[in-house]
Amino acid sequence: MENDTLNLTFNDQKDVLIRLMKYTLPFKGVLTLGFLMLAVSTAAGVATPYLVMIFIDDYLTPGVFPEQDIMWLIVLFAIVQILGAVTTYMNIYLFQYLAFKVIQQLRIDAFEKIGRLGMRYFDKVPGGSVVSRITNDTEAIVDMFIGVLATFLMAIFMVISSFVMMFILDIKLALFALLFMPVIAAILAVYRRYSANFFSHARQLLSEMNAKLAESIEGMKIIQVFNQERRLQEEFNTINETHYKYNMKNVKLDGLLLRPAISMIYVLAIAVILGYFGLLSFESTVTAGVVFAFLQYMERFFEPINQVSQNLNIFQQALVSASRVFTLMDDERLEPVQDKDEEAEITDGHIEFKDVTFSYDGEVDVLKHITFTARPGETVALVGHTGSGKSSIINLFMRFYEFNQGDITIDGHSIKKMPKGELKQKVGLVLQDPFIFYGTIASNIRLYHPDMTFEAVKAAGEFVYAEKFINNLPGGYQHRVIEKGSAFSSGQRQLIAFARTMAIDPKILILDEATANIDSETEEQIQHSLEKMRRGRTTLAIAHRLSTIQDADQILVLNRGEIVERGTHDTLIREGGIYHKMYQLQNGQQ
Amino acid sequence: MKVFKKLGWFFKRERKNYIAGIIMLILVALMELVPPQVIGWVIDGIRQETLTGGRLGQFIILLIVVAVLTYIFRYFWRIMIFGASYRLGKILRSSLYNKYSQMSPSFYQKKRTGDLMAHATNDIQAVQATAGAGILTIADSLITGGAVLVTMAVTISPKLTLMAMIPLPFMVILTSYYGTLLNRGFKKAQAAFSMLNDKTQESISGIKVTKTFGYESHDQEDFRKLSDDVVDKNLKVSKIDALFDPTIMTVIGASYFISIFFGARMVLDDAITVGQLVTFTTYLGMMVWPLLALGMFFNLIQRGSASYARIEKIMETKNDIGEEYLIEDQPEGDIHFNIGAFNFPGEDSGGVRDVRFTIERGATVGIVGRTGSGKSALLRLLLREFDTVNPEDIVYGSHPLRDYNISNLRAQFGYVPQDHFLFSTTIRNNIAFSNPEMDDAQIHEAARLSQIHDDIEAFAHGYETVVGERGVSLSGGQKQRISIARALILDPEVLILDDSLSAVDAETEERILESLQSNRRGKTNIITAHRMSAVSHADLIIVMDAGTIMEMGTHDTLMAEQGWYHDTYNAQALRESLKSSLEDMAEGRRN
Repeated sequence: MENDTLNLTFNDQKDVLIRLMKYTLPFKGVLTLGFLMLAVSTAAGVATPYLVMIFIDDYLTPGVFPEQDIMWLIVLFAIVQILGAVTTYMNIYLFQYLAFKVIQQLRIDAFEKIGRLGMRYFDKVPGGSVVSRITNDTEAIVDMFIGVLATFLMAIFMVISSFVMMFILDIKLALFALLFMPVIAAILAVYRRYSANFFSHARQLLSEMNAKLAESIEGMKIIQVFNQERRLQEEFNTINETHYKYNMKNVKLDGLLLRPAISMIYVLAIAVILGYFGLLSFESTVTAGVVFAFLQYMERFFEPINQVSQNLNIFQQALVSASRVFTLMDDERLEPVQDKDEEAEITDGHIEFKDVTFSYDGEVDVLKHITFTARPGETVALVGHTGSGKSSIINLFMRFYEFNQGDITIDGHSIKKMPKGELKQKVGLVLQDPFIFYGTIASNIRLYHPDMTFEAVKAAGEFVYAEKFINNLPGGYQHRVIEKGSAFSSGQRQLIAFARTMAIDPKILILDEATANIDSETEEQIQHSLEKMRRGRTTLAIAHRLSTIQDADQILVLNRGEIVERGTHDTLIREGGIYHKMYQLQNGQQ
Repeated sequence: MKVFKKLGWFFKRERKNYIAGIIMLILVALMELVPPQVIGWVIDGIRQETLTGGRLGQFIILLIVVAVLTYIFRYFWRIMIFGASYRLGKILRSSLYNKYSQMSPSFYQKKRTGDLMAHATNDIQAVQATAGAGILTIADSLITGGAVLVTMAVTISPKLTLMAMIPLPFMVILTSYYGTLLNRGFKKAQAAFSMLNDKTQESISGIKVTKTFGYESHDQEDFRKLSDDVVDKNLKVSKIDALFDPTIMTVIGASYFISIFFGARMVLDDAITVGQLVTFTTYLGMMVWPLLALGMFFNLIQRGSASYARIEKIMETKNDIGEEYLIEDQPEGDIHFNIGAFNFPGEDSGGVRDVRFTIERGATVGIVGRTGSGKSALLRLLLREFDTVNPEDIVYGSHPLRDYNISNLRAQFGYVPQDHFLFSTTIRNNIAFSNPEMDDAQIHEAARLSQIHDDIEAFAHGYETVVGERGVSLSGGQKQRISIARALILDPEVLILDDSLSAVDAETEERILESLQSNRRGKTNIITAHRMSAVSHADLIIVMDAGTIMEMGTHDTLMAEQGWYHDTYNAQALRESLKSSLEDMAEGRRN
């Protein structure tokens, strides 16, 4: 469960809102046009009652209908209506356009941030929550832009314009009407105060209830085996009941302070207007048109208040969402930065680890004084148990994590100074779990390579002996991959990953337990491919099956972050140490 | 409309509230008719100079009374109708939860958690809206709409009313047409959004590959394209969405125009007064909402009935484990397995066949074998997650398993599952899951027996430490040991460890097994394991392979047979010795 009832202080809310508003700045044109349209549509809105007033007072009451005047009035009325409709349309559309554009920029910024974040971040933050930052949270902000900010703006325009017209019609009465403002403001303030509380409670209870339900579904077996169905039902019902109570509190609060209250004040306002004009009529002339127009403006004044007050809760929720997106964008667990030296180039693939010590958390060293050399074209195998540090060596070499003690060089240049592109083009990593993307076999081999031809893709497939299985698929290289390649065996997926790596023809090859999950069917093929891939490339290989690295030029045995044995297969077997034991164990098992 | 019939039980139950609520709605509709009339009277009074101070006072008082009464009626119908709909939500949620807790595991295999959750959230929401906003919209559009229409016709002019109404159907037609377009567009926007969601998900899952190849910027380009698409599709929706307000404005404008144009003639003909004309136009404004509400109503019940049908389907699902039982007694004695053949529902193979053995009361039985060999299937049958073909296939004491009341049967078992599932509450509550009233001494004792007490005490909050996503993350071994404590605290007749020692180290395993031996004298233990060491002390060891028994005996007899058990035992022993020598070495270096 995520903490969706996160409470923001007033200042936090303000900061988040300002930061969000800054996103509208690049769309100055749209914003200006939107405001212009809003202004025109508001003007058209207030013009209608005014025209009716003129008609009632100047023509209907005296009972004179000069044809030309009436024609003009009708034309004017039609123009105002059409203008009002068109500008209203434009203004609604433009504000929605703005909202979507703003959110798009926000999404892109957040997504770009993902690219800059280091593996350190992804280790800690569950993938699902990162996804919902970028998609769901931003979606909540759309709702706010459209449901709250746009409505709010229109409401402000409508309220102000209505007041202006009231002042034009009758200053004294307008001032009277102004008295309703603080009353309404007070009601809304009281409402906000309690409703924020009830609303967030009800919401929290609902999410608690859903969490409980999800957990119960997941753990139903345990609940049943332990005969605890009744107790958990009761627990669930308790929350359900409390949730209901808060909902009722909300209904009561809404009933007391929202629409019913605002509508009551509106009717009271009508009473005030009628009373005022009634009294006024005893002393001077009051025209029906003015009364009519004034009542219309009063209605236009109350209408948006109802709308805005009902959307206030979305606002709060959206700010919480926005603050979560910004938190992601401000995260400082970035990937290592390259201190670029343009001269640094990988030519031969001579790798050196020089006294590298590394810790993920700054407390426990997972690598201690690692030193070794892999000469061009050599294969260095890393073996050891889980947690021995072999994966950390690869993590550092791939620049997934920054390290501060010791150095790693390729052809004499520190990998910290190597241009990023150089590293990515010349170092190929094959992971234990070959991730297959949505798309075709070909697109999975090519990935995003800008100018790789289909021939090159096929050549890569051939190179790793994958063409046989690929050609057997319907559509061959254009075969669509479903559900992350779950229709393929793990070996077939790995072959695709091999081809993907070989397609960029790297100088250095890193194999991170590339053969760990291979089914026996494809194992032989994989071995062939690996042999061929390693030829002429400096290779660092983490091997699960020792049989796969027997011919390595150097085998490093790691234990708790240290290299405890090193040598070739033969020398290590002769030494009769850990490697020997491990080898025996694996052979004995098979 | 059928959904209202289906929800009849509920409306019957809340009859009083609905009737009272609708009466309130009627009263509100009547009250709302008053202000426009008063406006007309005052305007006419002013024009005809017949208005007196007393009369004006009466009007004002009338308005105030109306305002206050409307307020009260409005408040109460909300509580009655919305309150009832919230109760419906509550009831449905509760019964759905109860239903879920009665369903056997095969139900959970067939249904996806997401769908089950959706029934309890979105579907209930939709049904609740039918009983609340649905009733409101239909009642309001009929009552208010009808009342206003009749009043216009009766108190002012039927002819004018008819003419003014001419444009209004266009509003209904157009808005419902937009509604259809909007739905279509919205679905496309939704699809684009879910593509974007998938893309994001994929990018994050495949982040390592992307970083390896340095394709971050390309990945971003891809994301940008998809997010462009989301914007495009949404803007298409906006284009339609933005039509609603102007259309309503224009139609109402036309209506206004007609009523003023023709109304003015009637004023000239002295058929109506200026005040009545103003009253008329005010009423006209009140017709908008009932017409829109009618459209909303159909939308609401459409969604509501689809949702309610889904909920009903779940509620009507039959449990495939028979719930009838023959004897009320607690099961006791030996457990006999005499299974000829069993396959899981919907599968032709992969079950168990010819499994015949007896677990004597008080014995410890170990079941080993490869993944998928049928070990767990035996336990699942014993726990009655599924029923065997013949009742006599598993006999507990002197009766077939299914003759017992299932809760009595379950009460005999202390079960530790493979996946060591813990609830997101405190460690204390997890251990005392079977009875939260248990005292600390019992809880600590169970924790000690399962070798987790010291670990728990080392946490900052001890037994009050909250586990799960919101709390501390425990290691697999710690979770397993807490699950063991949860079962041990019951002091069950039969303790079932379903590969529950896989994540603890050999030494801890040894200690747990020892404490089981000394503390569970006379009680039955059933242990399945991948590690032979976990079962080597058992009174009976069963080696399963491909759903049937491959070897059976004690550790000594099986070792003598030199079969699968023998080989696996030796290989695992070798691995252990390697592991300990590595540890010794690391230890040695440190010193």
